[in-house]
Amino acid sequence: MTAMLEIVTFAVCAFIAIAGALGMTTTMSMFRSGIFLMASFIGVAGLFILLAADLIGILQIMMYIGGFLVMILFMVLVMHDPGGAMMAGMDMALIERWFSKGLVPRGHPHDGHMHGDHKEGHDSDNQENDAAEHASGGGHEGHSMPHGAHAAPDHPSMQHGDDTGHEGHAMHHGNGNHSSTEMGEMDMSMVTPVRPVAAWLAVAVGIVLVGMLLLRPAWRVVDALPDPDSARRIGQLLMEKYMVAFEGAGFLILIGIFGAVLLARPSTYPDDSSRSAKVAVDEKPEPIAHDGLPPLTRSERSDEHQARQQRPKEHCA
Amino acid sequence: MGVIVTGTAVLAALLAGAALTYGLERLFVQHGREPGPAHDVEFNRNLHIANSDRWLLPAGPVVAVAGVALAVVVVPFGPGLIGRDLGIGLFYVIVVIDFVVLGLALAGWGADTPDTVEACYRIIAQLVAYVVPLGLAYVGVIMMARSLSTISVVNAQSALWFVVLQPIGFVLYLVTGLMQSYRAPFLEPFAGSIGGGVLGVSGGWSALLWRVALSGVFFLVAAIGAVLYLGGPSGPVLPGWLWMLVKTYALMALMLGLGRCVRPLSTAQMLALSWKFLIPLGLVNVLLVGGLILLGIGP
Repeated sequence: MTAMLEIVTFAVCAFIAIAGALGMTTTMSMFRSGIFLMASFIGVAGLFILLAADLIGILQIMMYIGGFLVMILFMVLVMHDPGGAMMAGMDMALIERWFSKGLVPRGHPHDGHMHGDHKEGHDSDNQENDAAEHASGGGHEGHSMPHGAHAAPDHPSMQHGDDTGHEGHAMHHGNGNHSSTEMGEMDMSMVTPVRPVAAWLAVAVGIVLVGMLLLRPAWRVVDALPDPDSARRIGQLLMEKYMVAFEGAGFLILIGIFGAVLLARPSTYPDDSSRSAKVAVDEKPEPIAHDGLPPLTRSERSDEHQARQQRPKEHCA
Repeated sequence: MGVIVTGTAVLAALLAGAALTYGLERLFVQHGREPGPAHDVEFNRNLHIANSDRWLLPAGPVVAVAGVALAVVVVPFGPGLIGRDLGIGLFYVIVVIDFVVLGLALAGWGADTPDTVEACYRIIAQLVAYVVPLGLAYVGVIMMARSLSTISVVNAQSALWFVVLQPIGFVLYLVTGLMQSYRAPFLEPFAGSIGGGVLGVSGGWSALLWRVALSGVFFLVAAIGAVLYLGGPSGPVLPGWLWMLVKTYALMALMLGLGRCVRPLSTAQMLALSWKFLIPLGLVNVLLVGGLILLGIGP
């Protein structure tokens, strides 16, 4: 009964570890990739617990849940396509398709009425839109502006707060070639030409490791049960035998924290030249004095201002 | 066979505890104040969310409930009424409750609406900030009890409760416990301004599982607090399980009442409070407890 339970537990944990690793390398969504890697390490933690090293296993779970969630947060911050919407539309191998199930690929309209009148060049628009969405996190439900408005040169998109998507539209309308170059670049960045080599390398390393396990001359069999109170043993080892290494690692982490605090500290610019560069960037552009147009009177200016204020409300309604 | 009986009993304890917790929490919800995780949810119909991730969104509540149920295993509800007395019990509780955070992050990202992704970010930002001072609040008790096992901690308090010996640790536990369960001043991930966060996109069975998980987390926080600082199920005259019940819900009422006295904090304020005040306070508490042990005070 117990042996049976052990085998089942081992099989489940090993499956989670291997499937997690496979999913991490093949899924198209970076977020899922992080979650799969976490699952893989949690499977390994289960194997540790099965080997009566419960403290190590639980420590591993703690480190990887907290650490990986924070890592995923930073990844979402800097990645172009953390949700995998862009890559899910590509040609995928069977396993990649399986691990990417349920991702909404780029190129599908989110709402029929929203993109309905805008078929040509749809792909590139949508790419820009989705990048903006995933950076700000999610579907544009409130955004129901008709697409005709994008052709207008001074439409009040800035007041919507989501100007990235509109900039994409503007770029597309301005430059017909844009979509094809953009697609080319994205394909280049997504294709990993060395991936078959990497896969074969991984298989070869796996065979070597398993072979080393199998061909090892003799496994020493010991009757003694492992210490059930492993926490006490580990604490004593850390405080006696491995104390220097333990304190050294702690010191290293402390220095790392100091460095992070130092980097995050609000600081002044080091020298005058970079400070003046900063000031130049911040300065307002000089007004165009000689454009040949009559200057706006005060009433005209306020009319235009009011019109700008009211237009977005009409569109949103 | 024993495993199945234990598992059923643990699940029953979790459900009963979560139900009582929700009842108590509704008593403290005032009109015009945000209910936080006691937010109303839609039990009667399933919500369909466009663009949601079909795998991550349903995985969230399942992972969260699994984490809470695993943590209830080591809570002693009375003499002999414990799922399993693990040698690393308290550390195990801290770690396994993290699965709730993982579940909330999965569902928040998976639902793919601006509100839930915001909730996902807030939850992950709060995770590391509360775990460190929470761990320090545990450490004082563990140093005095000389064990990570919940039963040993209860036995070590047979003469004197640790709340008397470590008042700073107790206050620290109250604050970080509220952070861990996302209750009153720290309810930013479930704030009304983002539509209740993950709860806003749950419906039907997932709403039910979220209710169990979020009430269960608070129940666990109060029960572990009772074990750590109030002597757990030990007490005169009354049976052990009744003492545990009274202590758990008295502690919960204290936490809810204190939480209502304070204006809700934003995530940034909560992080500042945690990193700049609670962590140094926890380190001071560990030093003081070490001094007490050197002086020979305590069990």
